[in-house]
Amino acid sequence: MNSPDDAKKTAIEMTRKELEQFPAPVLERYDAALEKLSGRLAEDTCSLWAIEGLEIARKTVRSWEAAVEFFDASVPVQRQLPSGQFLKWAKTGSLLCEDSPSLAVAYFKSSPKAMLRLRPRYIDDWANVCRSLYRGTWKSSALACRLFEATPDLLETLSFEEFCHFGEFLEILSRRSYDQAGDSLGAGIELFPKISGDVDRFINLAQIVAEKSWRETTVLFDAATASLIELGTPYRAPLISLARRLVITGVIDAAGVLRDAANTVNKVPADTRDRLLEMTDGIAAVSAPAAPEFLKIVPEILERVTFEQMGQWQAEGVRSARESDEVAVSYFKLESPASQEMLDSLSSSIELSRVREVIQMYCLALTGHIIDVQAAQALADKNIGWFQGELPTTEGTTIYMPSVINRYTSKDENFGFFKVISTHQIGHIEFGSFAFDFDIPSTMFEDLRPRLPGATELKAAKAAEEEARKQSSKLPEVVIFGHEAPAQLEPTPTTTETEVEKPEFLTDMSRFFDLFGERRLALDIFTIIESSRIDGYVAELYPGVMTVYNMVRDAALESRPDVTDLPAREALVEFMIRVSLGQIDEMIVPADHKEAAKKLRRLVRQITNSEATVEDATEATIRAYSILIDVINEELDDDDFEQLEPEEEEDDFDSEDDEDVVDPEEVIQQFMGMAGPDGDGEVDPDQDGTQEQDLEGEEILEEDYSSPQEVDYRGEFKPELSQLLSQMQMMEGGDMSETGEMEPITQEQLEEMMKNAPEMEMEQTQGEEGGDEQVSEMIENLMKELQKRDPENQQFQPGPSQHVDEDGGPLTAIEPDTYTYPEWDFRANEYKPDWCMVHEKIMADGEPHFFRETLADNAGLVAQIKRQFELVIPEMYRKQKRLEDGEEHDLDAVLEALIDLSVGVSPDEKLFWRRNKNERSVAVAFLLDLSASTAEAIDEAKKPSDDWGAPDDPVEYMVWLRSRRSEGLRRTYKRIVDVEKEGITLLVNSLETLGDMYGIYGFSGYGRENVEFYTIKDLDENFSEIVPRRIDRIAPLHATRMGPAIRHTVQKLSEAEARSRFLFLISDGRPQDRGYSREGVEKEYAVHDTRQSLIEARQLGITPFCLTVDKAGHDYMKTMMEDFSYEVLPDVSLLPKRLPQLYRNLTT
Amino acid sequence: MARVLMATEQKYIERDIEEYYVADEPFYVPTSDEIEIFESAYRQRVPILLKGPTGTGKTRFVEHMAWRLSEGLVPRNPGEEALNGNGEKLPLITVACHEDLTASDLVGRYLLDADGTRWIDGPLTRAVKSGGICYLDEIVEARKDTTVIIHPLTDHRRSLTIDKLGSTIDAADGFLLVVSYNPGYQNALKDLKHSTRQRFVALEFDFPDEEREAAIIAHESGCDNDTAERLARLGVKIRNLREHGLEEGASTRMLIYAGRLIKEGVSQRRACQVSVTWGITDDPQIQRSIDEVVTSIFA
Repeated sequence: MNSPDDAKKTAIEMTRKELEQFPAPVLERYDAALEKLSGRLAEDTCSLWAIEGLEIARKTVRSWEAAVEFFDASVPVQRQLPSGQFLKWAKTGSLLCEDSPSLAVAYFKSSPKAMLRLRPRYIDDWANVCRSLYRGTWKSSALACRLFEATPDLLETLSFEEFCHFGEFLEILSRRSYDQAGDSLGAGIELFPKISGDVDRFINLAQIVAEKSWRETTVLFDAATASLIELGTPYRAPLISLARRLVITGVIDAAGVLRDAANTVNKVPADTRDRLLEMTDGIAAVSAPAAPEFLKIVPEILERVTFEQMGQWQAEGVRSARESDEVAVSYFKLESPASQEMLDSLSSSIELSRVREVIQMYCLALTGHIIDVQAAQALADKNIGWFQGELPTTEGTTIYMPSVINRYTSKDENFGFFKVISTHQIGHIEFGSFAFDFDIPSTMFEDLRPRLPGATELKAAKAAEEEARKQSSKLPEVVIFGHEAPAQLEPTPTTTETEVEKPEFLTDMSRFFDLFGERRLALDIFTIIESSRIDGYVAELYPGVMTVYNMVRDAALESRPDVTDLPAREALVEFMIRVSLGQIDEMIVPADHKEAAKKLRRLVRQITNSEATVEDATEATIRAYSILIDVINEELDDDDFEQLEPEEEEDDFDSEDDEDVVDPEEVIQQFMGMAGPDGDGEVDPDQDGTQEQDLEGEEILEEDYSSPQEVDYRGEFKPELSQLLSQMQMMEGGDMSETGEMEPITQEQLEEMMKNAPEMEMEQTQGEEGGDEQVSEMIENLMKELQKRDPENQQFQPGPSQHVDEDGGPLTAIEPDTYTYPEWDFRANEYKPDWCMVHEKIMADGEPHFFRETLADNAGLVAQIKRQFELVIPEMYRKQKRLEDGEEHDLDAVLEALIDLSVGVSPDEKLFWRRNKNERSVAVAFLLDLSASTAEAIDEAKKPSDDWGAPDDPVEYMVWLRSRRSEGLRRTYKRIVDVEKEGITLLVNSLETLGDMYGIYGFSGYGRENVEFYTIKDLDENFSEIVPRRIDRIAPLHATRMGPAIRHTVQKLSEAEARSRFLFLISDGRPQDRGYSREGVEKEYAVHDTRQSLIEARQLGITPFCLTVDKAGHDYMKTMMEDFSYEVLPDVSLLPKRLPQLYRNLTT
Repeated sequence: MARVLMATEQKYIERDIEEYYVADEPFYVPTSDEIEIFESAYRQRVPILLKGPTGTGKTRFVEHMAWRLSEGLVPRNPGEEALNGNGEKLPLITVACHEDLTASDLVGRYLLDADGTRWIDGPLTRAVKSGGICYLDEIVEARKDTTVIIHPLTDHRRSLTIDKLGSTIDAADGFLLVVSYNPGYQNALKDLKHSTRQRFVALEFDFPDEEREAAIIAHESGCDNDTAERLARLGVKIRNLREHGLEEGASTRMLIYAGRLIKEGVSQRRACQVSVTWGITDDPQIQRSIDEVVTSIFA
């Protein structure tokens, strides 16, 4: 008995001894473990254990660390394992240590916890799963270690089988990237507990993804974390299976599928979710790549049609999907016409984007101005004073409308609604709401405007008075300071106040509203009256829309709030709205104010006709205001209301027509009274209330006045802002010389206006805190908007003069590829010799794909242009008559000759005709404007809001522009220059079939000594793959100095050998550049120089043609292109289509 | 029997062009002082160029003036008295120019017949000989060689050279050349040469204002005033689209046709559609927009 015991003891002792050669911790842990284990383990097991430990320590240089962990882990592990398994566990660790001690360390470390969840028989498998990740590298060992460490956590939710799958997945992925495998491991730990039950399914999906496109795994986990978790359990499994099926059939973006699907499933009602997934399955069965597109588009579809209708749309899609995947994808992307038509036929809603052009043209026809049509949200996003994103409105040049109308059950009615709101909105433009002129007399009323005191004036006068009082009281103190003192003491406010006494208003509208103490009430009244006036015009001039108009109006009337719920003054305002909406019977008004109501009704009716002017509306506003301001806004009971009898006979009304509803003198007195002691509180309605009370001298509970709810089809009406904005636009209209240069509007002026404008008040009172910030931000935006509209500012503003002075002398071209040209001074009527320097450069190479993609995207158009151009060729083969020699006799000519002979006149010898004599000999140079303004987006609606961040400083602007350009790939909207590029691409492609000699050049520049001239394709250069690359690089640069660029092109053209030569100028606006003017103001200078250069071209036998996309192009184009041919495109996007057409017309 | 009778009965009037003069007053509403200018120019025998878009009344104006002069409502020569209906009739010879119109189409040509050759005067020659107004409509359409022919007729020489005959004809006293053209602003190659255009007094024609146009429509079509006003308004609105998709605005003539159809009982919207919307453009988008304008104006 002794010997084996001894042997064991010796084994343990020996081990001890052996262990001494290792670092101290080894022995320490050995002893600690041994102490606990010896009691629990059979001795031979214990010695085996000890030997195993020693072996581990001995394995490699670093394996003593593993031994430490081994000893540490042994105690807790032993508690959970029978001794046989325990030794097996040790053995496994030992084997691991052979591969890598750090693996063993991780194994031992996580063992105690892992054993809680792991069946002993799986220990080997577990080690193997983790070990399989190890491939001898540091990274692989780190990954394997992490899996060991993560095992306890993972096993909390995963079965061992699932764990093995996960391991497999990691193994597959780790073959590609350890980092990604590591990330997935981390993500898995987070994710799995939250989707328990679907883990295996998900791992399976991940595995497939890892095999097919391993890079997607990270996003897959991200997407799963983001989407699957919030998705209800019942939908997870089908979704994952769906994604799996899709991935198997070739869809790469599994993450996207999950995300979109989860997003969509969450959006649809719970009872339709199963059906939705079924639909997706149905699509996937026919065309896998289409299914994700379907999931993506469902929310958009459901905005337009019901779920049932979507089912029909989907079914149709599945039918067409059988053709090919491409068809299916474009169908479910809602890109194919068939798909759109199908959806269209199912839905009764109308989207603005689909009818935008029609409405735009409708507005153009009605008003004679180019009216832009935009989604209302676009204006709200600009943050320049309009807040509602869904109400129709206008700011004088653009009308804003809801992006989709789904009010009625039929398409016609929904379109009718669009028509009603656009007719009403442009009514404001057509019938002059914004053309209000304070000084134009009213046609219907006695003019009170000039006789009323302005509130600002009154306030200022009062302030000045008070100041004077203070001054006089301060006088004694002044004496101490002697003579200088008064000047010092005079507080600056006084001076400003006195200046304010004759206030300057930005707009006549502001001046008008300044008459009122309670501006918001005045605005509300004016809104009602003016809108009513517009309705009157529409009814008279456009009876055709009245059917729908009345329907909309009746609906608006029905949705009005109950008058009896409102306090007295508001009730009367509401009453006015109802009158203006055409209500006749059952009009309820506060019983005490029946007379006032009658007067108000008369006012509204008087103004509702097609004779009334906006000035009449303002006069009516003054009268209505004078009535309403006397009505205390008190809360009323239901029985305080009575029904107002309908208006008396029509003729009775007419006879009264001349009579004013109010006594003008009284009104004036009333307005003067506003200047009373509390007069300065007008802006604040609360204070106003107290003022009222004071005047009445009664204690009545007065409610704050709040504005009525907008009438939906009339939308938001902002006369002051609109007038300001449209004024700026008007200046562009060309009467610049008449009105003289308008003073630039300063920020201060704007602030002043915003402070006073009733339109702004609502927002200010709504959001007290941060209100100032909001306002200043708005002012900033407004300033930018104004600058954009101000034609002056559309010029490229040059930075500080780092260049040759404009007054300098002639330039000399020294460097190679520079050329000097004269410039025409139209005042002096002479050339400035060698005034401009043209630097000719070859456009850098870009990528060829733009060219290819453009051709591919416009395949239809390309074919059409080709066809057109091919027609040109037979034209060249036309029979040519009257030749001296040819294929055959020309019968007409022969007859004539015979006649001539018999009469005795010498006959014409040209008796033949022949085909194909007229060889086409055309040389054409396209000159593209690459000025910075071509960076403008063509469709404002798609313009990202960060566009507002464009700095004003030109240097910064260029930097900003470049950075913008570099992010070109992310840009989703089109710029003018992109359209130019497209046009050129399509043309070049077709020109090749025609065989004409052509060159493409771009120009820009900055100052007269820096006219940049880029060659994209020279006239004598053959088309090669480099040309598309250069086209790709066409981008907006600096300013527009057209003259020298034209002269240079003409120079090139004049050297070309061709019978007809053309110069085709494509620009986006008037020529402008630093110093391209006289004394910096005369813009005609640039226009005249350009014109002169065109005349030079013609003298050399070159036909110039100018195509511009400048909407405001007509005024200067007429001067610039007189006698020349030109065309102004109303819409930039027409350019690619129009360019080849024009080219063909011009050259044949 | 009846048929034969029908065939023998002459149902048309055929006369030589020299004998054609405007007998009944053509309705014309002046927009400015064009009548006075024309009269003065005629007395001084200064050739006249009428510019303006299609359907603005250029041809009608010439007819009207020919009638006034024919009726002797105004003196034909400086210092004369008006004859008030007793004067010699003034022929009006109108030639619509087209792209194949050559000089000999205007001047005349020899024809071959059984006996040999026979010279036939062209319309211009006949006008020169008979002393009437020769109106070359859309002159830019004609071939370039025609414009050279008319040069000697438009200056102090007032003569027509006929190469083939080797003769020159001095124009009869009453002769005056009137040409018209439509300055389509984007027509690069069809433009009147300066050497030609500077030989004329130019009168610009544009659409009459809304009120006048309404009166014209009412008179010409016989429709009621309200309809005429609406048609005139439609015209104004559609002309706003000029250069924004439409190459030409709606002509007064077009609106008159719509008025006539309406008078015949065709519904207003339909009449506008067939005589205006569909006539003016083939672009479905623009048609739709115009349709919307029509349905706004007409109930």
